[in-house]
Amino acid sequence: MNVRRWVMPVVAVAALVVIAAAPGLLSPFMVQFVINLFMLAILAESWNIIGGFAGYASFGNVAFFGLGAYTTGILITKAGWTLAMALAAAAVVPMLFAALVGLPILRLKGHYFAIATLGVAETMREVVYNVEVTGAGTGLVMPIARTPALFFYLMLAILVAVTLVNAWLAHSRFGYGLVAIREDEDAAAAMGIDTTRYKTIAFAISGAFAGITGGVFAYWITFIDPDAVFRVIVTIQMIIMAVFGGAGTVAGPLLGALVLASVSELLSTQLVALAELFNGLIVILVVLFMPKGLLEVVKAGRGSFRVMARNLREYRV
Amino acid sequence: MLLLQVLINGLLLGGLYGIMALGMSLIWGVMNIVNVAHGALIMLGAYLTFWMFYLWGLDPFVSLPLTIASLFVYGYCLQRWVLNLVVRAQLFLTLLITFGVEVVMINVARLLWSSDLRQVAPSYAAANFEVGELTIPWVRLWVFATTLVLSLVFLVVLEHTRLGRAIRATSEELRAARLTGIPVAHIYAVTFGLGAALAGAAGGLWGMLFPITPVMGGSLTLKSFVVAVLGGLGTMLGAIVGGLVLGLAESFTATYLGPTYPNAISFGLLVLILILRPTGILGRKT
Amino acid sequence: MSVAILTARGVTKKFGGLAAVADVTFDLREGEILGLIGPNGSGKTTLVNVVTGALSASAGEVRFAGRTLTGLPSHQVGRLGVSRTFQVVKPFRNLTVVENVMVGALFGASGGAREVRVARRQAEDVLAFVALDHRSDAPADGLNVPERKRMELARALAMRPRVLLLDEVMAGLNPAEIDAAVDLIKRIRERGITLLVIEHVMKAIRNLSDRILVLFHGQTLTEGAPADVLNDERVIAAYLGRRYAEAGRA
Repeated sequence: MNVRRWVMPVVAVAALVVIAAAPGLLSPFMVQFVINLFMLAILAESWNIIGGFAGYASFGNVAFFGLGAYTTGILITKAGWTLAMALAAAAVVPMLFAALVGLPILRLKGHYFAIATLGVAETMREVVYNVEVTGAGTGLVMPIARTPALFFYLMLAILVAVTLVNAWLAHSRFGYGLVAIREDEDAAAAMGIDTTRYKTIAFAISGAFAGITGGVFAYWITFIDPDAVFRVIVTIQMIIMAVFGGAGTVAGPLLGALVLASVSELLSTQLVALAELFNGLIVILVVLFMPKGLLEVVKAGRGSFRVMARNLREYRV
Repeated sequence: MLLLQVLINGLLLGGLYGIMALGMSLIWGVMNIVNVAHGALIMLGAYLTFWMFYLWGLDPFVSLPLTIASLFVYGYCLQRWVLNLVVRAQLFLTLLITFGVEVVMINVARLLWSSDLRQVAPSYAAANFEVGELTIPWVRLWVFATTLVLSLVFLVVLEHTRLGRAIRATSEELRAARLTGIPVAHIYAVTFGLGAALAGAAGGLWGMLFPITPVMGGSLTLKSFVVAVLGGLGTMLGAIVGGLVLGLAESFTATYLGPTYPNAISFGLLVLILILRPTGILGRKT
Repeated sequence: MSVAILTARGVTKKFGGLAAVADVTFDLREGEILGLIGPNGSGKTTLVNVVTGALSASAGEVRFAGRTLTGLPSHQVGRLGVSRTFQVVKPFRNLTVVENVMVGALFGASGGAREVRVARRQAEDVLAFVALDHRSDAPADGLNVPERKRMELARALAMRPRVLLLDEVMAGLNPAEIDAAVDLIKRIRERGITLLVIEHVMKAIRNLSDRILVLFHGQTLTEGAPADVLNDERVIAAYLGRRYAEAGRA
């Protein structure tokens, strides 16, 4: 019996049990922080599918998040759907939208793809701002939630799901296909990988998870408007957390979310206005000093400063 | 003569889009950096103009050279000591870092000037120039004239000065440029400085026509990108032509479809162009 | 006389006004090794790109095992059983050697293996066949030139192709490595795979090929047995210029 293979899953399950007990043990403030942390971790892990594994760095995944939030919002407030059904829709609608939008956009390379995705997110915000059914600029008011524990467990469940998907990708044929696309798309195609189909599926799954998270978020904060759910800073956060933790790995985005969200929280407890500023600085520092992720630096132990210095010089003019 | 009015409005606005795109296209063409913080540079130019107007009573056209110089210095330093470090990294990392710069700039702007809407309103702001049924605000005409002058000056610098030649050489063949002794790190910094200066000028001019907020840059970055691609990447004339086209497109959609659609139009244009003719209107097909 | 497994008729590829490949017609017979030679820029790689669907054909048709290849996307061509190597190798740098080859096993002919475990075993077998198994777990970007070429070859082999198109696999190899490569290619043919080999190393091509096809400025110059083709004046003139061809005669 290969003991080593079972260490990770057992540790994970144990951690899960401990975490699940949290709402009863932590202060309400901490519970809120953890819910927010879960949300960022989900977004980072879902971004990881298209950005980390497939190598298509989308700068517009917040569009799916916001779309999911509004889908849930509209279905609950205007069509009287139950939360469960509305959340299911919050996964499906962005997923289909991602597949649709992916068709023209995933054909683009490099800068063009990134900016096109950014444009999708910006345009969606504009459209939502101007359309009646979404409450336009005034937003939507949701029914008041019962207890924070509900959101805690919802987010935790989604986080477990998206992490499992990432774990599956790391060892499956589909995952190998995505990685091949990332490494060399022409070679991947020559080897028999239907790159269009694979990219679109990855984008759609990424969108589905971002969407359902948006749905839970809408119900959690009980009031949504375009500026609350289509925030560009969210895009940056999910990307930098994945990169910091290690894009393309399973646990990387989780680690990145944990560390960066905590750091950000610590730095900005005094001045809320500076929270975003710190996020921006963190982005700059991570790209300069640890673009290959935290693990690369940490593994070098005492040589980590040298690794960081090398990263600083590696891509210079 | 509504049609003519719409046309003129579009062209006047288009001149502004032109110099915005010029800045972005320059940086992109020479260093392959898509500067997501471009809008933030425009925003900074707008706020500097606003500051000089309210603190020292400087007319925005008079303070324009100061704004341009300040943004040039800022851009030079940013490229020389931050962006030069990631120039050879994967594309998405350079995008990410300029994103970070944008976030920092926006939040610093929030701290310095708050999120309240600001505007630069000199005494002649409301004066109009009338020809028959056409109404053209004087400010818009002067702004347009300024954009033309700036574009011309810029093109002359790029085509007919040693500096311009050095920039073009570096963009076309980096290794050869290095071998002929061109100080690439410095040239890159100057290039970004020029791009930032153009953005700053655009911001200063924009502030005379529209409200200034810390987040005004987001849509402007996208529009600059659209125009740069529309006109053909790497062709400076293309950026100007593309700017005029976008200005016209927005003017027409705003008048005939409604004031809330222009932004959606620019994105729609982008996707169309990227799919149909990625080299833009004036670009060369590789 | 063996049967033609892959046929090209009037294949043309134009870029703007320039025809990189012009009206090329040839048969690839099952079980043979067909050498494809021609000076730089004669259209050899472009031809391979058109056959494998990496580029679309401006005119002409390529057929393989009863199906039309032209017009199919490259992944479908790979699935049908036609594999190729790239002139400038395209390793998956962030993967190990065995993982690189596994991708070939996972996605090759008929869609490849469905299970990762099976693909790994197949990949290990292929690596043993090309004598690269000692580097199985090495990162792909840590290989030297001959190793990189072998891995590129192994990846294509792992796809279980019926036809394998090799694009200058011997570029950058020293004479001993070239001999080993020739040996390996012959062993590949013994496994029942039909090969089209683009090469500049004349000694190797002469040794390997059953027949040789010569391209010049995108057109077929001549075709036939190695001895005949390599001594053909026109072929020598194409490579070295008219004067050398005439000097050769003297």
